[in-house]
Amino acid sequence: MTTVGLALVREVAVAARAPRLLFVHWPFGHALGEPGKVEQQRAVLRDMFSMARRALRPGLVVDLPYRWRRESYPPISDWTADGEAFEAALARAPEGQTSVGGSGPGRL
Amino acid sequence: MAWRRRPPRGLTAPDTWPAERACRSGSRQLDSLEEATDHEASPYRTPINRVTEAALRWISGTGRGQAVGHWLSRTIALPQLRHLTSDTIPWSPLRRPLREATVALVTTSGVHLRDDHPFELESDPTFRVIPRGAEAGELAISHRAYDRTDALRDVNLVFPLQRLRELEAEGVIGRVADWHYGFGLVLRGADLVAPGREVGRLLGRAHVDLALFVPA
Repeated sequence: MTTVGLALVREVAVAARAPRLLFVHWPFGHALGEPGKVEQQRAVLRDMFSMARRALRPGLVVDLPYRWRRESYPPISDWTADGEAFEAALARAPEGQTSVGGSGPGRL
Repeated sequence: MAWRRRPPRGLTAPDTWPAERACRSGSRQLDSLEEATDHEASPYRTPINRVTEAALRWISGTGRGQAVGHWLSRTIALPQLRHLTSDTIPWSPLRRPLREATVALVTTSGVHLRDDHPFELESDPTFRVIPRGAEAGELAISHRAYDRTDALRDVNLVFPLQRLRELEAEGVIGRVADWHYGFGLVLRGADLVAPGREVGRLLGRAHVDLALFVPA
């Protein structure tokens, strides 16, 4: 089973050594964003799906760049494509060697 | 006193209720469970101390408060994580396309069914089972370590089950799992190991392909 988590405190996310984590710079209680902002919530879910497909090493923590209450989230037309913000964040994610448990990393 | 989980009102139990196991009594908190709002589509709020509630609003609503909240989180969590984590990180790649995958939620935001026993607010390592069809008005939030104001307005912020059902209807994901899992506040991380493994076993038994973890 593949797991993807959200994290609200970056240092804790790194220390947790979970398989895949997305860090959002948002207040506690707002992991998916703001109340009633459906497109924002869908954008975060799409990024979680992208992380499930794209993360190639365990322990990867990707910092999503979304600013609190200062972003616009256009409707998502293609759910098979990654969002631009995620693509950029993944490219910025630090390289690192980690031990792999279970089966090896792969990509669909 | 131990209690055994039962199907909530208006919901049909599966053949095997997935978390049919003894848990600590939550009767004291159950007695104090109050409705947070008149809005039928909102979760219920298990009340906490008003001073704590005000402090949590400050932590969530101000830059200085958020810095304090992050410092507290690091101070509590980091020493424990150093002891609990190992050098090897579990890894399981996604084995089928998302449009065919079964997706489940695990949240640590204190979400549970309104008719289920609330979490002990001080610390509670037990978990609650939430069926895929649960609506916001059938849920409650029992947690004393974050400002729940916005989550009560839109529970998708900490438990995006409605969003997942929409994505299932749109064909983006294959299926929303039948059962999802809620945890409350746990002060000792070691207490979460056994229930965490049990939830993992239940998710595996339900053939879940992708589990999404949402914190508070």
